Amino acid sequence: MKAALFCTTRYDGPASHSVWPAPGDTYDAQWAERSMQTTLERFRLADEVGFDWVTVAEHHFAPFSMTPNPMVMAAALTNVVKRAKVAILGPDIPILDPVRVAEEIAMVDTLTQGRVVAGLMRGSVNEYVTYNTNPSESRERFEESLQLIKMAWSEKQPFGWQGRYYEYRTISIWPRPVQEPHPPIYISTASPESGEFAARLHLGAGFAFTTVQIASQAAKYYRDQCRLNGWEPSAENIIYRLAMHVAPTDEQAIEEMGAAGGGLPSVGLSFRNRAVESAVATSGYYGRDIETQRARLQSRGALMERIDKGQVLVGAPDTVLGQIKRIREILGAGILDMVVASQLGDKATRAIELFGTKVLPRMQEL
Amino acid sequence: MPDQQSDGSAPAGVEFSESFVEADGFRIRYRQAGSGEVLICLHGGGGLRISRAHELLAHSRRLIAFEIPGFGQSPVNDRSASMEELAGTMNAAVAALGIDHYSIMGNSFGSKVALWMAILRPQVVKAVVVVGPAAIRLPRQGPPPGQLAPERAAELLYAHPERQPPIPPLAPEIVAKQIALSTRLLGPPRDEPFEARLRELQMPVLALFGTHDRVTPPAGAHLFREILPNCHLVMVYDAAHGIDADRPEAVAALVEDFLSRGDGFLVRRRSGLIYP
Repeated sequence: MKAALFCTTRYDGPASHSVWPAPGDTYDAQWAERSMQTTLERFRLADEVGFDWVTVAEHHFAPFSMTPNPMVMAAALTNVVKRAKVAILGPDIPILDPVRVAEEIAMVDTLTQGRVVAGLMRGSVNEYVTYNTNPSESRERFEESLQLIKMAWSEKQPFGWQGRYYEYRTISIWPRPVQEPHPPIYISTASPESGEFAARLHLGAGFAFTTVQIASQAAKYYRDQCRLNGWEPSAENIIYRLAMHVAPTDEQAIEEMGAAGGGLPSVGLSFRNRAVESAVATSGYYGRDIETQRARLQSRGALMERIDKGQVLVGAPDTVLGQIKRIREILGAGILDMVVASQLGDKATRAIELFGTKVLPRMQEL
Repeated sequence: MPDQQSDGSAPAGVEFSESFVEADGFRIRYRQAGSGEVLICLHGGGGLRISRAHELLAHSRRLIAFEIPGFGQSPVNDRSASMEELAGTMNAAVAALGIDHYSIMGNSFGSKVALWMAILRPQVVKAVVVVGPAAIRLPRQGPPPGQLAPERAAELLYAHPERQPPIPPLAPEIVAKQIALSTRLLGPPRDEPFEARLRELQMPVLALFGTHDRVTPPAGAHLFREILPNCHLVMVYDAAHGIDADRPEAVAALVEDFLSRGDGFLVRRRSGLIYP
């Protein structure tokens, strides 16, 4: 089983986290610089203590994450993270230019000498406001964009693309990805439509900030669909993202994580703007099982409940290993993508070190 | 070109007439609509059928769709000994209509006829469009749908068969006749003497591949660019082998742009202005 460290590059200075978009009037460049350096140092540490991957993601207009372009952050890691894979999980492709995404990921794959993992995301609801994209077009844009990106990586002759949402007369990217035919691709497979799509196109599956029960149902659906399409996914085809905090004792870990608000924002970014969320909900963004998908993103319970549901790993190293084994048994994920509570400062950094030295070697044997 | 509506639909419908022309001892059926620059259309192994893409193209040019001798209602053709000869016949048919300057669009089997026509008369053929082209194929590709039973053919022709209008099935003897003719004339996946002539073609060629085509898949597209000196590849998203039936508006807009501007079609002409 593999471990990834996910950092959002949280702005660690004083800021309001309860409204989206967050105004910039209290923004302090020095806090932002320090926050970025902290993130770079945490990624370097993760690489040093043996994490298999480091992960970056895309979020906009909020102090929660200062990586609106995850490829830029990934490129910044070229000489900071020397061994671990650089997982870009990932660009919200329906709101972006697919050829640009293909080019940027190819650049990072070349800079890192073939260490990129490409998570191609649909984006959460608020992301559609960012560049004024219609969320009812989300799924169609996503499927077309992903297939165009794949072709831009693998087709060796210049080609045009006559799509529904994307039209190009000639594409021939330089650099091309180092990995052949392209970096491994993962998509979020929370919804049945996504599970079907991932199975058809032989893509890996990802689950983020959900419960292990919900994820295991969706994972089972994904695996069944893969079999219908003639292939069997391995554990490494499944990523499970959750929060993590490790301390020398269980009591300390729970107390510290509780002080950080449980390590997860109480609601997803989308739900901090009710107008946006309800407009998107009626747009067709959610797909067939609208209530399940909306519920998945809504408020999350108290810390002990979250541990129980497999949404966070919290405790001393042995305790956390037990929590990991349980997730492995129920879900069968091969990669745990863990985010630390940045607001804990040094304690979050210590958690990375403790995890790497005390949990990781045993986890990698699972 | 009339202004397209935002959903890509053309203004009011276009009427295709039906006529015959004599060439090389054949009585050749054709359907025609529109006026202006001539576009000759050559069907695939399933025979002549006017698609929505043809209707859209006929708004801005004179579109002539031939029924190749031996297909459809025409008698069995055991006279045309080769694709080259068949192409000569089709060029003669165009000349018999008094046309001395034209572009050609060929689907699947028709793509090879179209390219041979251009090889034989480069001075009069302005540009060529090949759609799901069977002219150059990867080894071990399946046979074109014209050589398959109709039910299997429908699966391979359309990414979205549910969106196609119901088509009355062809009589079995016509299907058999068409399969026999296309099998006899199509030639091997890699046809060296043909490719040697292709390497000399100077006029622009547009090659369209449906992203979901399992008969002439996009994996074979690179061959066209490697062999033809002046070839543009375009992948048409969410289309199978019957590209113009699956995505008629996308095909018509692209082909119209290419035919009217040649290589210049690489440069965007459609406005991006949102508000004045």
